[in-house]
Amino acid sequence: MLIKSFTFTTNNKLTIARTLDHIEEHDLILRLKNQDKDALSYLYDKYGAALYGAAQRIVQDEDVTAEVVQDIFLKIWNKIGMYDAKKGRLFTWMLNLTRNSAIDKIRSKEIKRSAKTDSIDANVYTIDRQNSTETSVDGIGVRELMDDLVEEQRFVLLKVYFEGFSHSEIADEYDIPLGTVKSRLRSALKHLRNKVQL
Amino acid sequence: MDIKEYIASGILEEYIFDTLSPQERIDVELRLAEYPELREELNAIEDSLEGIAMATAIQPPTDLKANIMSALGDSEVGLKEENTKQKEEPKVIPMPQTNSGMWKYMVAASVTIALVTSYLAYDYHGKWKSSSDAFAQLQAQNMQMAEQYNQVNNRLDDLVADIDIISDTDFKRVNMGAVDPTQSYAASVYWNAKTDEAYLNIKQLKTLTEEQQYQLWAIVDGVPVDMGVFDFDVEGLMKMKNVQNASMFAVTIEPKGGSENPTLDLMQVAGAV
Repeated sequence: MLIKSFTFTTNNKLTIARTLDHIEEHDLILRLKNQDKDALSYLYDKYGAALYGAAQRIVQDEDVTAEVVQDIFLKIWNKIGMYDAKKGRLFTWMLNLTRNSAIDKIRSKEIKRSAKTDSIDANVYTIDRQNSTETSVDGIGVRELMDDLVEEQRFVLLKVYFEGFSHSEIADEYDIPLGTVKSRLRSALKHLRNKVQL
Repeated sequence: MDIKEYIASGILEEYIFDTLSPQERIDVELRLAEYPELREELNAIEDSLEGIAMATAIQPPTDLKANIMSALGDSEVGLKEENTKQKEEPKVIPMPQTNSGMWKYMVAASVTIALVTSYLAYDYHGKWKSSSDAFAQLQAQNMQMAEQYNQVNNRLDDLVADIDIISDTDFKRVNMGAVDPTQSYAASVYWNAKTDEAYLNIKQLKTLTEEQQYQLWAIVDGVPVDMGVFDFDVEGLMKMKNVQNASMFAVTIEPKGGSENPTLDLMQVAGAV
């Protein structure tokens, strides 16, 4: 019902109709750079929920999350020229924009970090329970995803990914050597790789 | 480079999470370009990150997309209008646009330049002032040093001359000890019997008043002969009057300018040749 097929009519010489799901990232970026609204619509359909989830776990407030996600998509729309494909994927860029923006938001709102560090697991899981009907289609929630991680790895991943802590912040606040933080994060991501491989 | 070790350090994850310094980023990017294995690993990390995000996605409120798209719409309409205008009047429109953009830019630039310039002027004024103060201070110091240098140099010349005398074997050193045995006064006379020259050197003598001076006497054939007066604080060797056939030297305290005959009561030191 959304845009089911897509014809490259602008600068692109391709005229083959393709389903949106298969648009190559490269083409998508080109279209975004040409300020193609359909491309952004596609981007939202594909990644909106993922970015919303990432932002929600950081700010933990639905209204603020919606604000963050709206800002992010407008930022993607306006700043796509700043995206450099050589430096990483579009999604990575978007995810970082989202995380940074969400972190800025909570810091600007002076939400006390301590207040939310009390029980990250609880918070992250609570959101999942609250949104259990809406969580992702494949049915993997954060809990399932994290469950078979070693506690230390899970901790670092939650801190970095869901709470927006920088590596050195974790090292400082929890008195873990920086190298250890890095390697735990790495192991956690590596472990999850198999589980979530697209 | 040990690629496995590099990967294991977790720096690629940091790169992905954008927590590196710009310099570290550049370093990682250079390595990524060089080593395909790193690029592969980076892809895998991005995969898992995307996977996590997908797996933990939360369905946003239904009106969010509409809000975003309509917010875009506004800016897109503006953009489209600009495009059409440019097509219709391609020769006219770009100029004012460029100009107004240019003017804004120029105003911003000149304000910036003005601010920077005033700051620099203020800064340089402060620096100039402190430099000029420092310069005056250095000049004063320099003059003081020159003065001290002259003093030291003169003193050195004197000492060199003194040493010439002391080391001259023709000069005989006559030590004069304290007359009052409870005192430790002492002085010497360097006397050259061939040329009759004599020099006085104070080792220790008491301080005199303004009205008093010391007078050196030579005893020649049992009679005191005046060899000149000197102040209590002379340093180094002091040239005295020439004397022949001295058998003894003595120092008395006399009224300033000296006396014809020694005040024997006030004899301080004496020594036989």
